[in-house]
Amino acid sequence: MSENDLAPMQRTQRFGLLQRRALWGYVFLIPTVTILLVFRIIPMISAAYLSLTNYDLFTPPKFAGLINYIDLAKDPVFHQAARTSFLYVVGSVIPVWIISLLLAMLILKAIRFGGLFRTLIFIPVVMSAVVVAVLWRFLYFHEGMVNSLLGYFSIQAVPWLTTPRTALISIILIGIWRASPYFMVIFTAGLQAIPEEFYEAGRIDGTNAWSEFWYITLPTLRPIVLLVIVMSVVVALKVFAVPQLMTNGGPAGATEVIPLHIYKTAFEFFKMGRASAMSIFLFLVMMIFSVIQVRIFSEAGK
Amino acid sequence: MSYTHRNKIIRATFQQTYVYILLLLAAACALVPIIWLVLSSFKTMEDMFRVPMHWLPKPFYFQAYPNAWAQRDFARYFLNSAIIAISITVGNIVICSMAGYALAKFRFWARQFFFLAILSTLMLPLEVTMVPLFLIIKVFRWQNTFAGIIIPFIADAFGVFLMRQYILDLPDDLIEAARIDGMPEFSIFFKIIMPLSKPAIIALSIFVFREAWDLYIWPLIIITTESIRPITVGIALFMSNYGTDWNQLLAISTIAMLPMVIIFVILQRYFVQGIVLSGLKG
Repeated sequence: MSENDLAPMQRTQRFGLLQRRALWGYVFLIPTVTILLVFRIIPMISAAYLSLTNYDLFTPPKFAGLINYIDLAKDPVFHQAARTSFLYVVGSVIPVWIISLLLAMLILKAIRFGGLFRTLIFIPVVMSAVVVAVLWRFLYFHEGMVNSLLGYFSIQAVPWLTTPRTALISIILIGIWRASPYFMVIFTAGLQAIPEEFYEAGRIDGTNAWSEFWYITLPTLRPIVLLVIVMSVVVALKVFAVPQLMTNGGPAGATEVIPLHIYKTAFEFFKMGRASAMSIFLFLVMMIFSVIQVRIFSEAGK
Repeated sequence: MSYTHRNKIIRATFQQTYVYILLLLAAACALVPIIWLVLSSFKTMEDMFRVPMHWLPKPFYFQAYPNAWAQRDFARYFLNSAIIAISITVGNIVICSMAGYALAKFRFWARQFFFLAILSTLMLPLEVTMVPLFLIIKVFRWQNTFAGIIIPFIADAFGVFLMRQYILDLPDDLIEAARIDGMPEFSIFFKIIMPLSKPAIIALSIFVFREAWDLYIWPLIIITTESIRPITVGIALFMSNYGTDWNQLLAISTIAMLPMVIIFVILQRYFVQGIVLSGLKG
C-alpha cells in the first residue's frame, strides 16, 4: 500500500506517529547533549571570554582586551612551553608510528604466539599514568635499572632527569613506551583488513618484500595511517601526569609542556585569564588535528 | 625435497627467527620495567640500590606492603577510585547508548547536526577546558564532592560514536515488531537494544573504566579532602611526601596497577575490540 492509498484520517495519524517517534529521538539525546553542553561547550565558550579578562579567582573579572594574548606572544616562558610541547610531539610520535607499525607487522608475521606477544606488549598501556611516573622515576635513578643495564654494555651512566636535555628525552622515551602498543593494535586490525588478493596480485608481478610494503601495504593502509598520525599527536599534546610527577616541568623548564604550564598558571599563580588564553591556543592547535579526526569518523559513520 | 624448496624453507625459518627475536625484544622492553617494579617492591631499602644490580630480592621482604598501607588511608583511596570509575562507566553505558540509539535508529530534524556537534566535543579534552570547567564546578559548589568528579564525565562523544556505529547494524524489524506489540520506547531501549549491543557495551566499559580509573589532573584540581581522594592522587601525594621510602611507594604502585592488569588479561579480547572500534569501525 502506497502513501496515496491511505485515507486522509489515516495519513494524519501516521504523520503524528512519525512525529512522536522523532520526539523520542530527542528524548534519548537529552542526557548526552546536556552533559556535553554544560561540561564541554559552555566551558570552552567561557574560556574564550575569560582569556579576554584579567580574572584571578579572587576579584571579579575585568575586561582586558587582547592583553593576555599579547603577553603570551612576548612571554619567553610560554615560548619555551610551546617549544617543549612541539619537541615532545615530534620526538615521540615519529618513533611511535614506526615502532607500532613494525610491531603490528611482526605480530602478523609470526606463525605462532602472535596473540600472546600482542597481549604481553600491550600491558604498559593499561597502567595508569601515575604508576608509570613512579615506575620510571625509579628506573631513571643514577643507580637505577636503566643505567645498570647500560653499564652491562659499558655505557656511561646517564643523568636522566637532572639535566635539561636528557630530562626531555627521558619523558619522550616514556611516551613512546606507553603509546606504541596502543597504536600497534590499531595497525594490526588495519593490516588484517587488507585482502589477501592484493598481495597475490603483487606476487604475480614479482614484487619483493620491500616493494610489497611500499606499493601495496602502505597505500591500502592510508586511512589508518592518517588516523594514527592524528590520534598520536593529540595524545602527545595532552601529556601531563608524567612530566608533572617526574620533574614538575624542570630542570629549568625543560619538560614543562603546555598542559602543565596551563595548570601551574591557573592553580599555582591563579592567573585564570592568562591560563585561559593558553587553553585557547592549545585548543586551536588540537583543533587542526581533531578536525581531521572528526572528518575520518564522520566519513566512517556514513 | 628439491633444492629450491629446501632453500625456501631455510629462508622462511630464518625470517621467523628474526621475527621472534624482535618480538622478544619488544616484549622485554614492555615488561622488564614492570617486572623490575614488582620485584623491587619486595626488596629492603639497602637491597634496592645495591650495585651491581640484581633481580631477585635477597631476602624477600614483605613488610613494605603493610607499612605503606598504614601510612595513609589507601583503602579509602581505592574505594573512592572504584566508586568514581564504576559510576562513570555505568553513566557512559546508559547515556551514550541512548544517544547512539537515537542517532542510529530515529529520524528527526537536525540529526546530522547533533551527530557532528557531539563528535566535535572530541576536540575539547580536559587539558583544554580545565580552567573554565573548574570555575563551573565552583559555581555548582561541587568541589570536594563525588558529583564534581563524576558528572562531567558520565557522557562522552567517543562512547556515543562507538554505540551509534554498533546499533546502526542492528535489524530494524525487531524494533518495529516490539512497537507493534505496544512495547514502550524505554523498554525497547533497555530490553532489546541494550542486550543486543552487549559486545559494544563491554568494549566501551573497559575503555571508560580505564580512563576513569586513571583520572588524575581533574581530581587534583577539585579535590582537597582525604575522604574523596582517588588512588592516583593518593600515590602522587605519597610520592612527594615520602619520596625516599621507595619500597613502600613501589608496593602501593603494584597494588594500584593490579586491577587494570587483571581486567585486561581477562577481557583483553574486548579491550582490543574497543580500540579497533575507536579507530576503524566504519
